[in-house]
Amino acid sequence: MSALLNKRLARSLWRTKLRLLAVVMMVSVGVFAGVTFGGYSHNLDGMYETLQSDDESGANLADLWVDNRSASWSAEQVGTFCDTLSASWPLTVAALDSCEGRTIIQGTMFHTNGTGTHIINSLWHGIPPDANADKIWMPEGHTEGRVASSADEIVIDAHVVEALELALGDTVAIGAGSSSAEFTIVGVGYHALHVFLAPEGSLFPPESGQFVVGYLSDSGMARLTNTSLGASNTLLLDVEGTPSFDLPDTETYEGDEIDAVKVLVEDAMQAANLEGRVRDRGQNEPVELMRQDLEGAKRTSVPFTVMIAAIASITIVLSLQRLVQSQAKEIAVLRTLGVNRTSLMTGYLIAPLAIGAVGCTIGALMGPWGVNGMLNFYEGIVGLPITEREVPFSLYASIIAPTMFVVFLSGAFPAWKSSQLDPLEVLSGQNQMRVGSTVLRRLTSWMPTTLGLSIRSSVRKPIRLMMTFLAVGISLMLFGSVQMMSAGLQDTIVGGLEEQQSWDAQVYISEGGDAAVAAWANERGATVEPLIEMPLGSVEDSEGLERVFTLVGFDSFETGMRSVTVIDGVRPQSSTGSSQVMVDEGAMTFLGWSIGEQHTVLLNGAEHEVNIVGVTRGELARTMYFQRTELGEALGVNATSMYLALPEGVEVDASLAEISMGVVERQTLIDGMNSLIDQQTQIFQAMMYLGLMFTIAVMFNTMIMNVAERDFELATLRVLGASTRSLGFMLLFESLLIGVIGGLVGVAFAYGGAVGLAASFSSWQFYVAIVVVPSVAYQLMAGVVLIAVAMTPIGIWRLRRMDLVEKVKDLSQ
Amino acid sequence: MADALLRMENLQRHYTTPAGVVKALDGVSFEIHEGERVILLGPSGSGKTTLLNCLSALDSPTGGTYRFLGEEVPRNQSEKMTSFRRENIGYVFQFFNLLQDLTVLENILLIQELAGKKDPARAKELLGLVGLEAEVDRFPGEISGGQQQRVAIARSIAKRPTLLLGDELTGNLDTETSNKVMEALVSACQQESITSVFVTHDEGLVKYATRVIRIDSGKIVSDEQVSSDKKA
Repeated sequence: MSALLNKRLARSLWRTKLRLLAVVMMVSVGVFAGVTFGGYSHNLDGMYETLQSDDESGANLADLWVDNRSASWSAEQVGTFCDTLSASWPLTVAALDSCEGRTIIQGTMFHTNGTGTHIINSLWHGIPPDANADKIWMPEGHTEGRVASSADEIVIDAHVVEALELALGDTVAIGAGSSSAEFTIVGVGYHALHVFLAPEGSLFPPESGQFVVGYLSDSGMARLTNTSLGASNTLLLDVEGTPSFDLPDTETYEGDEIDAVKVLVEDAMQAANLEGRVRDRGQNEPVELMRQDLEGAKRTSVPFTVMIAAIASITIVLSLQRLVQSQAKEIAVLRTLGVNRTSLMTGYLIAPLAIGAVGCTIGALMGPWGVNGMLNFYEGIVGLPITEREVPFSLYASIIAPTMFVVFLSGAFPAWKSSQLDPLEVLSGQNQMRVGSTVLRRLTSWMPTTLGLSIRSSVRKPIRLMMTFLAVGISLMLFGSVQMMSAGLQDTIVGGLEEQQSWDAQVYISEGGDAAVAAWANERGATVEPLIEMPLGSVEDSEGLERVFTLVGFDSFETGMRSVTVIDGVRPQSSTGSSQVMVDEGAMTFLGWSIGEQHTVLLNGAEHEVNIVGVTRGELARTMYFQRTELGEALGVNATSMYLALPEGVEVDASLAEISMGVVERQTLIDGMNSLIDQQTQIFQAMMYLGLMFTIAVMFNTMIMNVAERDFELATLRVLGASTRSLGFMLLFESLLIGVIGGLVGVAFAYGGAVGLAASFSSWQFYVAIVVVPSVAYQLMAGVVLIAVAMTPIGIWRLRRMDLVEKVKDLSQ
Repeated sequence: MADALLRMENLQRHYTTPAGVVKALDGVSFEIHEGERVILLGPSGSGKTTLLNCLSALDSPTGGTYRFLGEEVPRNQSEKMTSFRRENIGYVFQFFNLLQDLTVLENILLIQELAGKKDPARAKELLGLVGLEAEVDRFPGEISGGQQQRVAIARSIAKRPTLLLGDELTGNLDTETSNKVMEALVSACQQESITSVFVTHDEGLVKYATRVIRIDSGKIVSDEQVSSDKKA
């Protein structure tokens, strides 16, 4: 008997093909999204492993970095340090694989093409040909040439080769500080510290070709910087295996293994009389940022899938529930004829499983296509090749199993409802009788009766309405949260850079290099402003974790070329004793600090008392703002760079590049940030539009059901002489009501989603403040209201098509 | 004799089905005058409901003429037919069809509002007329079937229709309640000077009519005046 009953149910469902198709599509999209995101993170994971691995194919990412950018250690000092460290290395700690010195230095590339010579901000690495750690990554088929071995050779990072139209054998002119030299390109490769090609201290990669990284040999670096071979400002330590290090985005502390190594390193530094900061992988920003990006991708796949599956489930619940309602008499007759509850329930339980199976199959089949698309997209944005691609079976299982479970649950309630129908009650029409709400009557009694009826009809099925709003909310969470986060990000970061800053270029200088830049500016009528900007601050948070932040010193926070957005407190003033400082809101949140508190921080390793007087917004990196003179005294530097405001017609030129350590133009930064935000948004754009489509589908489903359920009363009113126009107005009012409430719920969900998304993205390294941009909220509201109102013509169309003779027959039965 | 309120001549309603043409109404002709209370009697499938549907302009005849107050009644034009109903016709259903979300009083006010004649005082007066002045703020689900049908009657005459139509309006009620409803109906029609036509198969209701038309196989088989007293 069950087979016949199920066949009957299948035919009933088939009559609502459009709805059925929409539900199957939702499930498919959920699985497709899950497989796409999951496959993307799986393959990305593999790529990172390959890139960082200590073997022939990998670049062997170091485990510890020791650096001091204001010092240069001689080959002898490095040798002493490494020897001391090796000698003191205990057997209880994983063996030391290598201890190497490197020079990593900011500089400039003088790039000449058809439009002239361009000064490009650059970073140069001096890597010995036989280096063990942090080697150049040259995967076969994706790179070309070899590593630099002689003093006039260079390998250019693959990210910029196409944009700058460089090729093997080309000669490039590069500079670092006051010197410049020509090098021949012998290779094109990648580096584990430059997966995301952004200058130090910036999380935004400039547009391709606006920032260059090159890998010289150690002899090449000595030639460029005019120093002796082996001079270094960075030490790399590689330990056998990968000692666990603390992950800054987790609450637990995982850094015990690397801490044991750090103690040895610090002792050896003391013995060799070296000063510098020691960082593990968790504290190395480029490494940590990419790890968190990967973690973010891993975390995203399941919630997105579950959210989409939830929307599909709500639609299934509502649709099946409506089906049970419309088949109440049929079910009652079957029950009267002796069909048992279990037989009736089976069909309603099987239906969602069948829908889920079809949806999952389609989604799974489309999945690899999505994975490839995402990986291609990643390659396009990050510029790193994904050398191997696969979608493991376990991934399919991990996506399909929860989806099928959620979809199965959606059949449970309608199935139970169908089994609970009382045949007597249904056949006597008692189940249609209900008593209106007295509360609603009181609330709407002052309104015209038509409006009161509209409101009461709209909220007649509060559970369905709430589920609709929930589904709309989740849909808009997909659609609106990314939009809200991007708008907030653009508003705070790019907006601040565009509107509140008057500098045109930032010129990086070596110690004492400010006079030359000032003279250059003076000759051209440009104004200058010295500043200090160094990622050399650190503090221990409440859990004992060392947090590294950028130190910034300005002469004036009111009249300077760079205005800082102060969201609380006041700007720092010169003071005696502890320095007055402002701290960005991300750092304040993570550290749990408040205005008025005094804290001890480390400035380039030395303890310093600071007094928090203000909180700022607009920085992605954690930042502490000082008066420049006070910061300069603490660090022992006068300025690290200079802002230039260029008069009309004056541009950055080669002579400026030659006297600087690098030049960054503000417009380049803005373009880079905009470009990155656009690209990041594009990743989620498909999700956003899916969210919109789901909103339309969910609203459509509910509105159609509302109108269908009201056939009885609409037919009654039509028979009694109500015009289509007056009933159309009633439907329009209902649509508006549902649209406005749905819109408000949607905005709330989108905001919640944006906060959640920002929280999942936010870390010490990358903090996103969610600022509600009103236009986004209005857009979301208007979107939902529009969708709801757009359903009114469908209701009116149904009214016009209504066969009143047939309806009167129904009304008389 | 005064002009007829409505006149049907050779009215036909034929349906084309796969089995052939079904003649639900096959040349029906009659007149109804103001103040009459007509009962249409006939067995199931005789065409009485089809006739009622044509009278109310819910359905369009396929032949013949139907004039109301001297004017041709629109057919096959949904909005004009609706407008005709709104201006001239009151309708009482077998299953009352009150809107469950509105109170007794609001059910009447809604119809007045849709007809552009909202008048709460008259709505309450009508509820008094059918003996329900104490139930104005109750929901349909809170009152009995007989009471609901009386509300439906009050609702149908709330906009002062010229012609009141009912289809088996006591078919869902027991005899005692049926009588109460019919008494309320007759009283309301007399006070409001409303002409009425009711479809039923219950011979017991003949006593409330002034005229009985019997119909079978789509044709009028008898048309008799049962009482000349329109106030009876």
